[in-house]
Amino acid sequence: MIKDITLGQFFPGNTVVHKLDPRMKIILTIAYIVSIFLAKNMWSFIAVVASALLLVIVSKISFKTILKSMKPLIFVLAFTTFFNLFWTTGDVLLISFWKINIYLEGVVFSVMMILRITSLLVGTTVLLTYTTSPIMLTDALERLLSPLRLIKLPVHEFSMMMTIALRFIPTLVEETDKIMSAQKARGADFESGSLMRRAKALIPILIPLFISAFRRADDLATAMECRCYRGGDGRTRMTKLKLALRDFGAIILMAAFITGIVFLNLTPCPISM
Amino acid sequence: MSDTFIKVEKLNFSYTDDDGHDVPVLRDLDLEIEGGSLVAVLGHNGSGKSTLAKLINLILTPTSGKITVDGLDITSSELTEDQLFENRKNVGMVFQNPDNQLVATIVEEDIAFGPENLGVSSDEIRKRVDDALKTVGMTEFARHSPHQLSGGQKQRVAIAGIIAMMPKCIIFDESTAMLDPSGRREVMDTIIRLNREYGITILHITHYMNEAAMCDRVIVLNDGKVELDGKPTEVFSNVKLLESIGLDVPQTVEVLNELKIEGVNIEIDKLSVDECADEIMKLFGENK
Amino acid sequence: MIAVEIKNVSYVYSPDTPFRKVALDDISLKINAGKITGLMGHTGSGKSTLVQLFNGLVRPTEGQVLVGGEDIWEDPKKISRFRFKVGLVFQYPEYQLFEETVRRDIAFGPANMGLSDEEIKRRVLESARFCGISEEMLEKSPFDLSGGQKRRVAIAGIMAMEPEVLVLDEPAAGLDPQGREEILGGIRDYQRKKGNTVIIVSHSMEDMARYSDEIVVMNKAKIFMHGTTAEVFDRAEELSDVGLSVPQITELCNKLRERGLDVPHGIYTVADAKAAIMRLLGGKHD
Repeated sequence: MIKDITLGQFFPGNTVVHKLDPRMKIILTIAYIVSIFLAKNMWSFIAVVASALLLVIVSKISFKTILKSMKPLIFVLAFTTFFNLFWTTGDVLLISFWKINIYLEGVVFSVMMILRITSLLVGTTVLLTYTTSPIMLTDALERLLSPLRLIKLPVHEFSMMMTIALRFIPTLVEETDKIMSAQKARGADFESGSLMRRAKALIPILIPLFISAFRRADDLATAMECRCYRGGDGRTRMTKLKLALRDFGAIILMAAFITGIVFLNLTPCPISM
Repeated sequence: MSDTFIKVEKLNFSYTDDDGHDVPVLRDLDLEIEGGSLVAVLGHNGSGKSTLAKLINLILTPTSGKITVDGLDITSSELTEDQLFENRKNVGMVFQNPDNQLVATIVEEDIAFGPENLGVSSDEIRKRVDDALKTVGMTEFARHSPHQLSGGQKQRVAIAGIIAMMPKCIIFDESTAMLDPSGRREVMDTIIRLNREYGITILHITHYMNEAAMCDRVIVLNDGKVELDGKPTEVFSNVKLLESIGLDVPQTVEVLNELKIEGVNIEIDKLSVDECADEIMKLFGENK
Repeated sequence: MIAVEIKNVSYVYSPDTPFRKVALDDISLKINAGKITGLMGHTGSGKSTLVQLFNGLVRPTEGQVLVGGEDIWEDPKKISRFRFKVGLVFQYPEYQLFEETVRRDIAFGPANMGLSDEEIKRRVLESARFCGISEEMLEKSPFDLSGGQKRRVAIAGIMAMEPEVLVLDEPAAGLDPQGREEILGGIRDYQRKKGNTVIIVSHSMEDMARYSDEIVVMNKAKIFMHGTTAEVFDRAEELSDVGLSVPQITELCNKLRERGLDVPHGIYTVADAKAAIMRLLGGKHD
């Protein structure tokens, strides 16, 4: 059933990672992505992988969840490995048959690529989506981007839209389920026939869904007006975001980490890219 | 009771349908609502009751007529935008569909939405949100997501969102229509408590006569005009008239009325089962 | 005659997860043919799941569902046959309308059955009549109608499939008294003329008293009561134990009986109550 799809997964918790200021988390995530792309040799890669593992442990997200979230990535990983393995040329030929040559450099490159992509995914999901509620994220994004208001970018409107979308996704998913059942009860068949037929069979679901979404939007707009909403100007917020000591600690740690990566890159190492 | 809070004078509202005809919804409506009262507005679909609510909040603009809320003429052409929002702050609205009035993904964030729009300070909002949660009995759900709640609970969150704006009056626009009996009871209990304990003026628009019977005063709208207005017992005694405009009366009143038609000498304005039983037992007491 | 039989059925939502929830717990039930059966119970009692069991939208975790004596899950590939035998009208069915005209929307179900154009036309007209939809309305867009009218169009859409069993989940929810009467009255007329089986889910005791021949009460995933309307409403105390009630008029009769009046049991309409009181008054005069 559609209902089982989890969107914007967030696992509530009370760890240091959960408690970090969401604005800081966005900045840290960007810094972390940069550090992953800075890594060039084996030592620095070990540091990157270790840091990703450490994040998982500290945030108390189960490894099972992490592995599950990797599933959709398998295809991408296989794809990049395939290309790196067969198309990278180098000095040390490992295997050669028919027209295919696999070089040591290709193997090294593939492994590093896999590590890079997985660390990237684990790091960003743990730092952001898994440990930060969607509303905190949009809120933080609005505050971080607020200077852009000076150049007339609708930052507040954008984050309001995000919030409303997040609020209504579960409602609309449930509604889709309901409409689908109702049309099935009238003998609609969504499972058999040609692609064309199946696409046509969606009309009895899509039309009621759109109409309902518009009706909801209309109702919501009226309700928001009644609650004195008039855009972002003059609005205050209930949650005050205040940087705590741990946030400064985290940024110092990140700075040290990046310096470390750069330093490790310069250290002589048998395997490097 | 205190002074008039809402005064409606010669109010007209009509809209233009697809064929270009003017369709009148409210016709020369006159009405006064006292501050601190608990008033039910009854009427069948299309009687104009929801339109009246939207006019008091200026979601709609009247065709002609005057509406004064808390001493402010909101239909004046000189009404400033600040006054308009002041009026919306004073008169909160709770709508029919509980899903379509919650904005945020977390209960307490949603309740904060109104005060945030009013520019209230962070600490004050926090306090108001906690108080509002307590008033509607939803404190334990503060960090929940609205879609995990039942209909009645969602509606209580919507009410909390209005209370947090500290209104003097709340209009419930068929807020119980989509709920199951237990949800309806939850919402009705909250409405009555808001009136009795906090002195908030309540306009409860509904078509459930048993809910109207719990209010101090019942106004029956029909065809854009006030058809009946008075205490619940007075209004529900008009069995024939109510039935002719498509409304029900409580079964207690209905059976007493039937007996009266048969020539039995009996009072019919008994809304509760106990009062009704008393009235019937009187018959047998006298006959014994 | 038994229209639908539920044999030792259990249904569990999200088994093997922390959200596991038993919606139906080993229930057995026989719905009599040619009657209007009311189904009540508060939210979460399992009635919505039960209703979707009748036409095979939900497959029982355990047990059998028999429609007209046939096990509907005997061959899961042929389940759609039973969707036509048991017509299900969901709550707020007006949200499922999608066609350009009312006529075409009502015809959607019959068309899916593969009927001839002539037969479809006949059925559309007939069910429109039962639901109080005028010929003129048939050519309109369903989205131009009022809420009550839309609801009636949606119900007509299921009726036009001419199901042996018609199941309606709160058909009158959210409507004013007149709208309720139009819809429930229309369903009763349809049942009386066609003689088929109708199951109505409702929260309103007064509506139940007025329209149903038999009542099934659900509580905590089990069948709590099943009997004629009079039998069920005669058990006021047990009903109130599970958070339900009896019609106000039955409550009044019970009160009068408590206070010594010889009012008979099983009264659930105003007319019967009046007659009983008049009889007692007459007796006093004799």
